[in-house]
Amino acid sequence: MKLELGFIKINDVQFSNECAVKDGILYVNPEDVKAFVYDHDDCKAYIKSINFDIAKPGESVRITPVKDVIEPRVKVEGPGGLFPGFVANVDTVGSGRTHVLKGAAVVTAGKIVGFQEGIIDMSGPGAQYTPFSKTLNIVMVCEPVEGTKQHDYERAVRYAGLRAASFIGGAGKAVEPDEVKTYETLGIKEGIEKYPNLPRVGYIHMLQTQGLLHDTYVYGVDAKKIVATLLNPTETMDGAILSGNCVSACDKNTTYHHLNNPVVAELFEEHGKSLNYVCNIITNENVYLADKQRSSDWAAKLAKLLDLDAVLVSEEGFGNPDADLIMNCVKNEKQGIKTVLITDEYAGQDGKSQGLADSDPLADAVVTGGNANMPIVLPPMDKVIGMLDYVDYCSGGHAGSLRPDGSIEAELQIITGATNEMGFNCMSAR
Amino acid sequence: MAFRVVHYINQFFANVGGEEMAHIAPELREGKVGPGMAFETAWKGEAVIVNTIVCGDSYFAEHEKDAKEQVVAWVKEINPDMFIAGPAFNAGRYGYACANIALEVKTQLGIPVLTGMYEENPGADLKDKILITPTANSAAGMRKAAPTMAKLALKLMKGEVLGASCEEGYMPNGIRVNFFEKERGAKRAVKMLINKINGKAFTTEFPMPNFDRVEPGKAIPDMSKVVLGLATSGGIVSKGNPDHIEASSASHYGEYDIEGWDALTAEGWETAHGGYDPVYANENPNRVMPIDVLRQMEKEGKIGKLHRYFYSTVGNGTAVASSRKFAEEYAQKMLKAGVQACIMTST
Amino acid sequence: MKLPHRIRIITNNPLVNTVLSDWYKVEFHEDASYRDILVMVRDMVYNGYELMTHPMAGSVKPNETMYKSIVVGTDLIGTNLEHCNLMMNALITCDKFKPLGVVYSDYHIKDFQLIDYTLLCGALDFDAIAGLSKANVNSY
Repeated sequence: MKLELGFIKINDVQFSNECAVKDGILYVNPEDVKAFVYDHDDCKAYIKSINFDIAKPGESVRITPVKDVIEPRVKVEGPGGLFPGFVANVDTVGSGRTHVLKGAAVVTAGKIVGFQEGIIDMSGPGAQYTPFSKTLNIVMVCEPVEGTKQHDYERAVRYAGLRAASFIGGAGKAVEPDEVKTYETLGIKEGIEKYPNLPRVGYIHMLQTQGLLHDTYVYGVDAKKIVATLLNPTETMDGAILSGNCVSACDKNTTYHHLNNPVVAELFEEHGKSLNYVCNIITNENVYLADKQRSSDWAAKLAKLLDLDAVLVSEEGFGNPDADLIMNCVKNEKQGIKTVLITDEYAGQDGKSQGLADSDPLADAVVTGGNANMPIVLPPMDKVIGMLDYVDYCSGGHAGSLRPDGSIEAELQIITGATNEMGFNCMSAR
Repeated sequence: MAFRVVHYINQFFANVGGEEMAHIAPELREGKVGPGMAFETAWKGEAVIVNTIVCGDSYFAEHEKDAKEQVVAWVKEINPDMFIAGPAFNAGRYGYACANIALEVKTQLGIPVLTGMYEENPGADLKDKILITPTANSAAGMRKAAPTMAKLALKLMKGEVLGASCEEGYMPNGIRVNFFEKERGAKRAVKMLINKINGKAFTTEFPMPNFDRVEPGKAIPDMSKVVLGLATSGGIVSKGNPDHIEASSASHYGEYDIEGWDALTAEGWETAHGGYDPVYANENPNRVMPIDVLRQMEKEGKIGKLHRYFYSTVGNGTAVASSRKFAEEYAQKMLKAGVQACIMTST
Repeated sequence: MKLPHRIRIITNNPLVNTVLSDWYKVEFHEDASYRDILVMVRDMVYNGYELMTHPMAGSVKPNETMYKSIVVGTDLIGTNLEHCNLMMNALITCDKFKPLGVVYSDYHIKDFQLIDYTLLCGALDFDAIAGLSKANVNSY
């Protein structure tokens, strides 16, 4: 499957009376975006108001509580559309051409439950830990209709963000991209013929799938209910996988991460040179132990069936996913498939505790996104987009986390994407 | 004013002599001696070595207690900002001395300490307790080790927060520290994968806990004819601890005869362990070494026979290497005595 | 929905008790702490009951939420070493988190109940939203 990504470099975002990209500036008309968002039953029923704001790198701005971050993209050629099964029909995506508004992001914020969720600081010491301090963010704060239940609110906010991003992405449809990159993986036989001497490598992509604020969706399906299956890597670039989780924000993959999956990107960099990138195997992280066994058995079975020589495994979350991670590692290593894992650690504020809840000597090649328990103080910002009142109760916060001056004393895990386990960031630990 | 440092080296690096002079007792000298020069060069006046302590490696090994007391007394008197030992490279006894004297100074006096040695030096067992800079396996590595150690020492004396082990140049000490790599995680992972596929060297960023797991033996279907051995890391010993098993970091194990004992009593037995509240173990030592129930099972014919001796040490802070050595030894004793199965109790 | 045969839910979450006891065998321990539930299940697993769900479900940390629901088998099937390890590791992990000293409002407490409940429903493949029609949960 072959996909061309056309990158349109966005240098600034401004509100305007139209949605368009001109000379690297993205103009957004909030009313047009709102109209598109509200053209959906859940958004109509459960979202009372949407406040739009813009946050730019370097500004004294704090965005919180962050639900999801989404990159505006648009399908230009080829079957299907962005976010199949949610915004577009379920046609298989990942081929043809897609335009990306590089440098821009839609951020949804809203207090779904009375605790948890993430922080994005656009400047200050917190900014270096989140990739979204470097994007031009169009922030949507969504207020629920009175009487809305959390499940409905969560779903509505999720739809609102996806719809907004695909609408805004539409502004790039007819724009000539600054750069075009082509990504292509081959069929099994074709790949072996073309790269007879290159090791066959797959990517086992673990998805958090447990419950409210702990879910991931694939082509509109709640990924709890899938068995391990195959994806062309390019499908992820068109929004085949979507985030529905944000609890312990540091190691949850936003939709932006899925669209820009760094493992996919880095494997493509080596594709045809030092390895033959065969495909992605997506698998879940369910709570039921029999599900864990089945999913890891199947992921290993598919890897074997595809005659893979090696797999890279990325985790999402902490605690029980560590069990899935180790199963995915051990089952592959035992059948002779070499593995490298990407995880993060909860080693305690002093860094002295055992960082993973499960382990095995076969997991001898591990990349870490760092210790999520690291204490951090975030100074007050001139402007807060969203609300701060939940901070004492959120993951990584504690009593008195929110100080009277508006500064926050917490752990790194409060920051969106800080210890991302797809290896999105440069941070590590020793 | 420059920071003041005391430096510990052995007879060889002090140019006193080789193995033939390894017996010399600690002596205190003014200023720098031998390798101290390299540190001072790197410090460029920010720190100076006020005294050097020279001690023979054999002396330290054979009179560890005396050597530690003497060195600590001098260091206390001098009251420096920092204590540096070595580096010892791959010299085993020197490495042991450097690590142990540094730990003693740190524990007794609370000043920053640093040593350096080759990663496989037995002294490196203490890397979780004191900072150790990894060095090459011969003194030729001084050129590289000195600037790293000097820089790290200055940081410690200035009270600065230490970065990750790989940035600062100390052996991973079990304390995880975040830092920024040059490349993002996914790229590092793909590179690691390519190395792993091609059988090339790679270093994991997250070493799994050192399990040193032993596969359990095959299940024994019929225990009624089996001679059963017993061992513990819970420190149960004869009253009075006749073998002087240490309360922590045990250097040996003891062998205890249970002939004629139907159960362990508080009068005859106790624990030497310093890592848990000993009250309950001392009150009823069977709680750690369950002779009472095993004798019962012996009488009932559920197990064939209890081996006449049990083996005991203290697990508290005891090095894995030492534990392995103990077990290898007493396992042979049990095998010789016809023991077919063994229960190991911990605390 | 996973069939209710031969499984029971060990919980201290009143929402789980309210909603799921019509469908499943729920052993509700009102006064038990998060850790107490782990200890109870650990002992069951040591004694030979099958562990059905991972004791560390979800990303709400043990020092944040006070609720825990775990699914265990009803029949003695013999001690499963892997499951014993899981329970042991869960307790070690739980003890790693220091108490935060936060006093939660009823509103937050209900949200913690809800999250624990949805994690359990996720495991049991039970329709969480439908179940809530009979419960008093937060809304806006």
